[in-house]
Amino acid sequence: MEIIGPVLVSGITTGALYALATLGLSLVWGSLGMLNMAHGTLLTIGGYAAFTAASQLGLPVPLAVLAAVIVGGLIGALIFVLVAYPLSRRSPETFETTIMIATFGVALTLENTVLRLYGGQPLGQPLSVPGAISLGAFVLPWQNLIIIVSAIALMGATALFLTRTKMGRAIRATAQNPDAAKLMGVPVAQVYLQVLILSGMLAGVCGVLVSSITQLSPSLGADPMLKAFIMCVVAGLGNLPGAIITSFGLAIVEALVQFLAGARWGFPALLAIVILVLIRRPGGLFGRVDVRRL
Amino acid sequence: MKRQDIANLLIGLVVLAAAIALPFYVDSRYVIGQVTLGLFYAIVASQWNLLFGFSGVFSLAQMALFGFGGYATAMLCFYFGISVWIAMPLAGIATVLFSLVIGAACLRLTGAYTALLTLAVAQVMYLLIVTDTDCFVMIGTQCRQLTGGAVGFARFGDLGTRAMFKAKFLVADYALVVALFTATMLFTWAIIRSPIGLAFRALRDNPGCAMARGISRFQMQLLVFGLSSFFTGLAGGLYAAHFNAIGPGVLSFSTLFFIIAMVVVGGIGRLWGPLVGAIVLIAADEAMREIGEFRSLGLGIIIAAVMVLMPNGLIGLCESIFDRLRRLRTRSSTMTAEVSGDTPA
Repeated sequence: MEIIGPVLVSGITTGALYALATLGLSLVWGSLGMLNMAHGTLLTIGGYAAFTAASQLGLPVPLAVLAAVIVGGLIGALIFVLVAYPLSRRSPETFETTIMIATFGVALTLENTVLRLYGGQPLGQPLSVPGAISLGAFVLPWQNLIIIVSAIALMGATALFLTRTKMGRAIRATAQNPDAAKLMGVPVAQVYLQVLILSGMLAGVCGVLVSSITQLSPSLGADPMLKAFIMCVVAGLGNLPGAIITSFGLAIVEALVQFLAGARWGFPALLAIVILVLIRRPGGLFGRVDVRRL
Repeated sequence: MKRQDIANLLIGLVVLAAAIALPFYVDSRYVIGQVTLGLFYAIVASQWNLLFGFSGVFSLAQMALFGFGGYATAMLCFYFGISVWIAMPLAGIATVLFSLVIGAACLRLTGAYTALLTLAVAQVMYLLIVTDTDCFVMIGTQCRQLTGGAVGFARFGDLGTRAMFKAKFLVADYALVVALFTATMLFTWAIIRSPIGLAFRALRDNPGCAMARGISRFQMQLLVFGLSSFFTGLAGGLYAAHFNAIGPGVLSFSTLFFIIAMVVVGGIGRLWGPLVGAIVLIAADEAMREIGEFRSLGLGIIIAAVMVLMPNGLIGLCESIFDRLRRLRTRSSTMTAEVSGDTPA
């Protein structure tokens, strides 16, 4: 029985991180049909931006997080302007695969830039908070609480943004039907740019949060990104609420397997679940079965 | 024979002649070694091209299959003490079986879903091997993991070329890789020309129409997945035997994307694309050796830039230049007034 506490704490914390990583990824996939292989690197860069701002420039914590957000959004915008936009204009029919290869090139470039600038050795993120709340056998470190609360707050803010603002409505309209949106006067290219900036900003914060419980390293974002991919696939690519539910569910399962069978079996267990789910429901748990006209 | 077949045959003969001539003109062991490595990559890249370029299956498990072939060879030799010459074909067959299992799980889906699942499979394989710490056998006082762990396998038996050719063994190994490369290209060419190849391309270009014509997408894509894995696994086996070592490094993300970059740079869906890409990228890699630390950085920029600026690769670029020249010539011979408004494609 005593494993339930730690499993829940670690499961919900990683679930919150996965959900946040998945949110940015899924947002971009849902509206642009683009799988951003550089998403993990955006996480890494967010973490390093906060590190630079906090420990090298000596800025206070909120400004450091803001730095991560700004840098993440900026790189998201650059990816759109330099890579995604020209590619989608040039060969829209092969965009789905070409963009994966191109963004991987971007990821390789950015990751190596980080490696050149900061070196390969792991660094400690200065934004972590020590201490824990304990209720009997149940221990919840402050850092985990901060991660869970800020991830949920960010997801709530994103949901509000998407449902309540004009810009959010334009994003959803474009995701549903770009042609119809364009005919209604939505500047589609501008919407795509906003989506990538938003996703970059979310990735920036997510990177800060991830690095606050682990360490900063140039490959920081790779693992959350791979997990986020898996969550997206299980939930059905582009489905935001589904992706968030799946993230928490699978993260708890992963934590449980890691506690029971050892850390190395967590990811294989996830993959097995994913494959079983997809054999039963190829469109994902919450995916819409779309009717294709030929 | 069609014109295209004759062209491919001629190119093939020229490539083969150049490959045979190389060791007679180049004495440097380093160059021969790098060309051998490049040919290994070209073999894997050509099979990925068969899978993605000709059949539209975006799999990210190609290096996992290559690694599987290599590990199968190493483990067969290491645990059963058989010769690498028997182990390699067995490893090739084992790779096909393994690929059919992966394919059955991943190919029910399409596009990005397939890519993500195959990537996850490859990553799980890598993690399970790297984190393997349980002792399987004891060699002397040393603990040995079933999968070789983070170190991998070494000195499990070689091709016998060292004993037979002494100092010239590198050239002998090179000849073996050239032979395997030739077989791979012949195999790829035969598949592309066959009715099955036509079905693969139909599924790539218009899955809906192809399925309406009675082609089963799942079966055909599983078939091409299996077909393309045989030479991939065999190349993995030869790679392990040539270096007399195999480690988890071949399964890494960056090796996989080096292969993909070759296909992209050369030209996706072009028979000779992977070879051109392998030559260009290995040459670029050598040139960037001067700037040492910036190699991966340069590679990343090359991949992204080529994808954006010339999505059909170098061969595609040549094709469009030829096309434009031909059109210019026919236009100038039948020159009329209406040319002016025409914009080049």
